[in-house]
Amino acid sequence: MRVTRSPLLDDSLPSWRARLVLGLLMVGFIALAGRSLYLQGINKDFYIGKGESRYERVIDMPATRGRILDRHGDVMAVSTPVKSVWAIPEDAKLTPAQTRELAALLDMDSREVSRKLAADRDFTYLKRQIAPDVADRITALKLPGIHFQNEYRRYYPAGDVTAHMLGFTGAEDKGQEGIELALNNQLAGRSGSRRVIKDRRGQIVEDVESIRAPQEGKDVVLALDAKLQYLAYSQLKQAIADHKAKAGGIVILDAKSGEVLALANLPTYNPNNRTKLSGAQLRNRAFTDTFEPGSTFKPFAVALALDKGNVRFDTAIQTAPGRLTIGSATISDAHPHGVLSVAQVIQKSSNIGTAKIALAIPSEDMWTMFDSLGFGQPLKLGFPGEAGGRLRPWKRWRPIEQATMSYGHGISVTLIQLARAYQAFARDGDLVPLSLTRTESVPSVGARVYSQQTAREVRTMLEMAVQPGGTAPKAQVRGYRVAGKTGTANKLEGGVYANKYVSSFVGFAPASDPRLIIAVMVDEPSGGRYYGGEVAAPVFSSVMGGALRALGVAPDDTLKPLQVANIVPAREEM
Amino acid sequence: MNTAQLNRRLGGSRTAPDEVDPLLLWSALALLLLGLVMVYSASIATAEGSAYTGHQPTYYLIRHTVYLAVGLIGGLIAFQIPLRFWQQFAPWLFVGAVVLLMVVLIPGIGRSVNGAQRWIGLGPINLQPSELMKFAVVIYVADYVARKLEKMDSFRHGFLPMAAVMMLVGGLLLREPDFGAFVVVVTIAIGILFLGGINGRLFAGLIGLMAVGFAFLIWSSPYRLERITSYMDPWQHAFGKGYQLSHALIAFGRGEWFGVGLGASVEKLFYLPEAHTDFLLAVIAEELGFVGALTVILLFAVLTWRCFMIGRQALLLDRIYSGLVAQGFGIWFGFQSFINMGVNMGLLPTKGLTLPLMSFGGSSIVANCLALAVLLRVDYENRRMMRGLPS
Repeated sequence: MRVTRSPLLDDSLPSWRARLVLGLLMVGFIALAGRSLYLQGINKDFYIGKGESRYERVIDMPATRGRILDRHGDVMAVSTPVKSVWAIPEDAKLTPAQTRELAALLDMDSREVSRKLAADRDFTYLKRQIAPDVADRITALKLPGIHFQNEYRRYYPAGDVTAHMLGFTGAEDKGQEGIELALNNQLAGRSGSRRVIKDRRGQIVEDVESIRAPQEGKDVVLALDAKLQYLAYSQLKQAIADHKAKAGGIVILDAKSGEVLALANLPTYNPNNRTKLSGAQLRNRAFTDTFEPGSTFKPFAVALALDKGNVRFDTAIQTAPGRLTIGSATISDAHPHGVLSVAQVIQKSSNIGTAKIALAIPSEDMWTMFDSLGFGQPLKLGFPGEAGGRLRPWKRWRPIEQATMSYGHGISVTLIQLARAYQAFARDGDLVPLSLTRTESVPSVGARVYSQQTAREVRTMLEMAVQPGGTAPKAQVRGYRVAGKTGTANKLEGGVYANKYVSSFVGFAPASDPRLIIAVMVDEPSGGRYYGGEVAAPVFSSVMGGALRALGVAPDDTLKPLQVANIVPAREEM
Repeated sequence: MNTAQLNRRLGGSRTAPDEVDPLLLWSALALLLLGLVMVYSASIATAEGSAYTGHQPTYYLIRHTVYLAVGLIGGLIAFQIPLRFWQQFAPWLFVGAVVLLMVVLIPGIGRSVNGAQRWIGLGPINLQPSELMKFAVVIYVADYVARKLEKMDSFRHGFLPMAAVMMLVGGLLLREPDFGAFVVVVTIAIGILFLGGINGRLFAGLIGLMAVGFAFLIWSSPYRLERITSYMDPWQHAFGKGYQLSHALIAFGRGEWFGVGLGASVEKLFYLPEAHTDFLLAVIAEELGFVGALTVILLFAVLTWRCFMIGRQALLLDRIYSGLVAQGFGIWFGFQSFINMGVNMGLLPTKGLTLPLMSFGGSSIVANCLALAVLLRVDYENRRMMRGLPS
């Protein structure tokens, strides 16, 4: 095939062709320069924005949660730095040996590690909250695609002893129970945030700006006294074991300031290891569980009658023959007592005596008194699930109900409510609000419920109750004058009284100038004894004695030998 | 400043001025050195973060330096070889390159990376025959045209034999597959044929045929089609097919006028794949800005222009072979750098082509250095001839 000859070829190569090729290439380069100008000058903001969305991240700068201290500054809860291990599965190509090594350090099954690393995700946690030294050892392995994240873990040095008081934090370091929840706002602080650039493996390569500085949480100083707490907890635990009880609770209040010095419940849990936690362990019974208080309630109605002048300290009350019919119902004393003074009604714990005194009081006045004492409504200290108890409106009270209520039936309270109400006797007739935190100034006068004289008279009656001839001689404390009242209540089950009991004791000491109020409740003792005087009173005695000595409270009684062992306590009424 | 003055200032001999083209030499050296710095900058993070490199940050720097040294030594040797020897041994060199292209396809000898069998393992080094072929095709096609100058107008004697050879070479390259090398090699061959005076209408027809052929190739291989579509709209498939390009574009944008600073690229931190090879320009653009990118474009433009000027000088001296070799290398450098940069900027569909003289890659660097040496030799011989000295 022959095509047309180019005349230019005759001497040399056609130079226009080279110029054309070079020209085309130069046009190409000019196009590149123009494109570069467009990308880097004209439209750069679009690409910068795309870049930011790919690798700029706003990250949290966690604030350290404040510590919880007891009233003497001992650490009750503290946040310790820990690390969480996470992986980019795509990058984490580990040899079987590496996987085994990693699994061993993480205390995990190596198959589980493999399974997590095989996940079709960009991010997976291998294990949360491991100790920093373990993290360091993993870092030393230099595994690809394995990363760490700094976190804090809450640690409670006292473990189960303070579990219900302190509660615990959940995910995101938020308080979920107890003080951790009640005072969360103060403890939590506010996490800050900053804008950073991360590489594709999640490492921060550049700090762009700080958006907000973190605000550290504040420490909380509790009213709690760690020594008293331990004492209360251990004595309660012992009593529950001795009496094979189902549960129990104990509260120590400062009678003067209203501070909660100790609070323990059983069963409890270890807040540092909350796996396999049951609802029963979790319940902060002193706040959430209501029970019929029984005889511990008797002094309230009697005090009101004294206050109103219906009776005097020594007014005689006929309790014979040990039965009293009100309407269609009959109430009784287990042992007929005959004629008793008002003081003896409390000392011997007579149902009939108390009922007779109470029936002379108008329902409304009695209701108002219960209400002022704090019954029927939660204390609102911030604890979750605080119960208010049952206090029905006075207009619908029938006389029999008013009678049984006066000795603690047909009404329900929590242990903390009961302890607080006893302030009225321990404090010359007034009540101050309870405080979970250490108070700097002691409130001088609270809300008055009874007159000073009434309170002092009842105090004397309660002192009699723990002396020989009373219901709880086992509540006595060597060297101190003690006042208090036992309670033994039949438990209601499905509307009928079952053969199960709640033994309780509430009291205070020294009686001459009350300093501490202690309330003890033991639920369903099944070791054969169930009277408050035998189950709860000894706990009260040992805790009160230990606490007063620990606080260095001057004894107000001669150190006479206690008469406990050979005295059979007067049988109380239920 | 004329070249003689420049040469003297740079320490050149006063008695032997203008022995080589200074613009060509310095633009090439500037690209080589900037390439070394940027390969280190672009690779430092991936090298440190990869078990493959043994977590050595200088892994690629050390290797690239060795390649440059080998390339420069090879270049010094090649510079000593007169063009007539190159022409004499051109068919043998070409046959050698074709044989290597066949050898790389033999299972067990050719090494495969990411599904492409492009490397021959020779102990510690990997030889990439397609890079050698880019060099050989210039040397050979220039010889072919120079020998058949009188017949270049003929379809049967001028075009057909070369078309057959190119089908063989092209077929081998596509078997690897190395579509980028295929395009470059075929473009060089056609370019030299065109410069050598192939018939105009024949050429137009050929271009048309090639366009159809390329289109067919692209449509027949799904992965090439995907590369096409991703380049059209990288944000559509920003985390799939368009991932690489979208990150390259972000790198350009982030660079703005003067760059984020040497070493400060974020894109190279595992976001942009192939940052130290095919997408080196994106890292340059991010770290050195528009100024840096424009400098690289200008250097390549100068380099290409000098190749053509040296070639033209040779042709004027009636040294047809030397002239075609020089312009052939000009096409190679100009075309491949244009494609690579165009791909980096999203002007062209993504394909695996390195940036000549700059990207990491031993075979490519050495082949580029050899080409530079031959170019300088052509220029050297031109100047000798003009002074009436034997070449």
